[in-house]
Amino acid sequence: MPMSWEISERKLTRRELIRRAGVLAGGVSLSGLLAACGGGTGGGSSYTKPSGTKHTGKAAPGKKPTPQTSILGAKSSSVKLTVLTHWAGQEYVKALTQLFDACGKKLNVQIVSQTVPFDQLLVRITTGQLGGVTPDIYHIYNLWLPDLTTSGVIAAPPSSVVSDIKSAYGKSTVDAVSYNGKVWGYATELDLYQLQYNRKLLEQAGVKNPPVTWDELKATAKKLTKKNAKGKVTQAGFQLIRGWDSGVVHPFTCLLWSNGGQYVSQDNKKALFNQQPGVETLDLQMDMIGDGSGFISDPNNFTSDFTSGRVAMTIMANWWGPNLKAGLPGGLGDAGVAPIPYTPGNTSTALQYNWLWSVSQNTQHAKEAWDLLQCMNSPESKGKLSPMGTFLTTALNAIPSRESDQAYVMGHPGPLVAYLKPFIAALKHSRTEPIVPGDQEIKTDLQKQIEAAWYKQKSPKAALDAAASQADQILSQKSS
Amino acid sequence: MSYSVARGKLAEGVLERIPVRRRHALAGYMFIAPALVFLFVFALLPFLFTIYVSLHDWNMLTPIPTMPFVGLSNYTYLITQDPLFWQTFVNTVEFALGDVVISTSLGLAVALLLNTRVRLRGLWRAVYFMPYVTSSIAISIVWANIYNPSYGLLDGVFQLLNLPSQPFLSSPGQALISVIIVSVWHGLGYYMVIFLAGLQNIPAELYEAAKVDGAGAWHRFRFVTVPGLRPTLLFVVVVSTLSSLQVFDLTYVLTNGGPVNATNTLVLYMYNTAFNFLKMGRATAMAVLLFIVIFGMTLVQLRLLRERE
Repeated sequence: MPMSWEISERKLTRRELIRRAGVLAGGVSLSGLLAACGGGTGGGSSYTKPSGTKHTGKAAPGKKPTPQTSILGAKSSSVKLTVLTHWAGQEYVKALTQLFDACGKKLNVQIVSQTVPFDQLLVRITTGQLGGVTPDIYHIYNLWLPDLTTSGVIAAPPSSVVSDIKSAYGKSTVDAVSYNGKVWGYATELDLYQLQYNRKLLEQAGVKNPPVTWDELKATAKKLTKKNAKGKVTQAGFQLIRGWDSGVVHPFTCLLWSNGGQYVSQDNKKALFNQQPGVETLDLQMDMIGDGSGFISDPNNFTSDFTSGRVAMTIMANWWGPNLKAGLPGGLGDAGVAPIPYTPGNTSTALQYNWLWSVSQNTQHAKEAWDLLQCMNSPESKGKLSPMGTFLTTALNAIPSRESDQAYVMGHPGPLVAYLKPFIAALKHSRTEPIVPGDQEIKTDLQKQIEAAWYKQKSPKAALDAAASQADQILSQKSS
Repeated sequence: MSYSVARGKLAEGVLERIPVRRRHALAGYMFIAPALVFLFVFALLPFLFTIYVSLHDWNMLTPIPTMPFVGLSNYTYLITQDPLFWQTFVNTVEFALGDVVISTSLGLAVALLLNTRVRLRGLWRAVYFMPYVTSSIAISIVWANIYNPSYGLLDGVFQLLNLPSQPFLSSPGQALISVIIVSVWHGLGYYMVIFLAGLQNIPAELYEAAKVDGAGAWHRFRFVTVPGLRPTLLFVVVVSTLSSLQVFDLTYVLTNGGPVNATNTLVLYMYNTAFNFLKMGRATAMAVLLFIVIFGMTLVQLRLLRERE
């Protein structure tokens, strides 16, 4: 007899009714939380995804990265270092093997390489802390520095490492791996935002040069927009991306800075993105949406929207290169890169963010860990790539953070290098993504508020004020 | 007398001194002990720990004994200062209402249809049940493509019919209903099977008697089928409400809560608060509040729908 009939055949007492409901609801509520605690599935999360994840951890269809462990370096050594990264795809794991093996053997340390997809990395770090099973070396996103440093998860490097970092890396990169005035590790992958455009579409529209100023951006976007007989936009001049905090907030911040605005105050106590330059930035986006030249792409389709010619220009980071190479009909030859458009009296300013190697506070082998990192991040001789530089440029097609590696990339021609060159050149005028306590939450809220303006649920000023008010509350909680 | 036999006799003697009723109760408790231990370790303990954490400010990076006690401030913040909590609550209730009402009605309708002598009945039942056994993540990815306003299947159909393109998941106004449709499609087969089982348990004689009394199709449905299905209906409504209130996977993959929080649900917000914003205290407070809501709703449903004697 089915369960449902059994329910009907017994008269439930009040106590039994409450007990049943309690057990049922409690169990189900907990299972909901536990399901949520189980972490993402890698099926397309875009909440915390910094823009680098498309090539560093996101699963390609049918090629889902899975957590892996491998033992490398000097396998008989008594010193064992566990390294946790988010480079979980097979091709990255293979390249990591070479990276770790060489330095591990050289320093006579055994390396246990653990990889998890990006959207499970922070969960893995937190659960590892809870369980007391922490790796010796972490590879982390620099936005997590406030939480990981103030909670004592990662250790400050020795002065020799700090000197090495300060002398071999650019200012914005050193800033990107610093928090509270301290350097916390070796910068690895560097990502920078620029205006990217489809050369062929600009040529077809008779546009010789990409826009330099905001006025030119608006005019060019309008010129590149095409509509069919029914008035439906078939090709939009400028692409905005919704549903992904970095995809919304990073381009907004580039334009904000290039309009003379600020994200937060220097003491990290007050949000400033809602001041006049911020409102003007959102107004610029709204103007383009209003005249049909601004197209809001779905977070899962923004690359195909660009490569299929549905949109002509956007603001995106350099990690996009391999996607464009694979998707654009003419490969990277069709992809143009130009500085972020700016307003009169201001300078084109790009946003950069970094990943970094850091050492766990709990490690028993801090010296060996820093030695390993120093080995991986130092070129064997002048004019050569560092092992990390080799990994970043060959396995990831990314910009290396070390200046000597960048110089090497600039000196070696090739389609991808040609694509990366404008990004490296723009590093002179770049700023690191603000490393502010609670910024993940601030960023997510700002993204939602900007989208509320895009969808005309709020005015630009009201949307930014709401985000700033929330940000101020988070900043005050974090500072108290 | 061997030692083991002597020991057995002694045990028997001890047992005999315990009254029969108690002995039976003891045996019962021994039988359910494994399940009780399992329930305690995997349900009750985590639940109590959830309540404990909800009274603290914790980022999961610091040791548990050092987390600062904040009293009820996580709860007061959520209830009085966090508009997003209320928005996700409303979204969740709207989703649950739409999902439960449509799933229950359609599940019953399909079950009624497939309970008749329709041709290829087995095949139809299998077809309706198939989405339920498919991974919800896979379903979400497929439906995201179906809904795509540029190249989606639905957009193609709309163009064929000369209808204007619809933004579906990209529109704050259409996203939630679009997710509800996917959820209904996913769960329909399961509810259909439950209703079919319920329908087959209604004695055929009741229908025959009703026919003899001159009852038409509607009256047979109204006065025989519906009362006979009441317990099944109770089960379906309670189970679908519980699962709808905890929707996570569909919104996570299809929309990630967007656009503009239009599909942000409580469990998704809870997940982000815990694992993206590292505010486990606040996230567990949400879990406790959701528990209270589910507890209350389940009580009301059981009371309203249970069979009156």
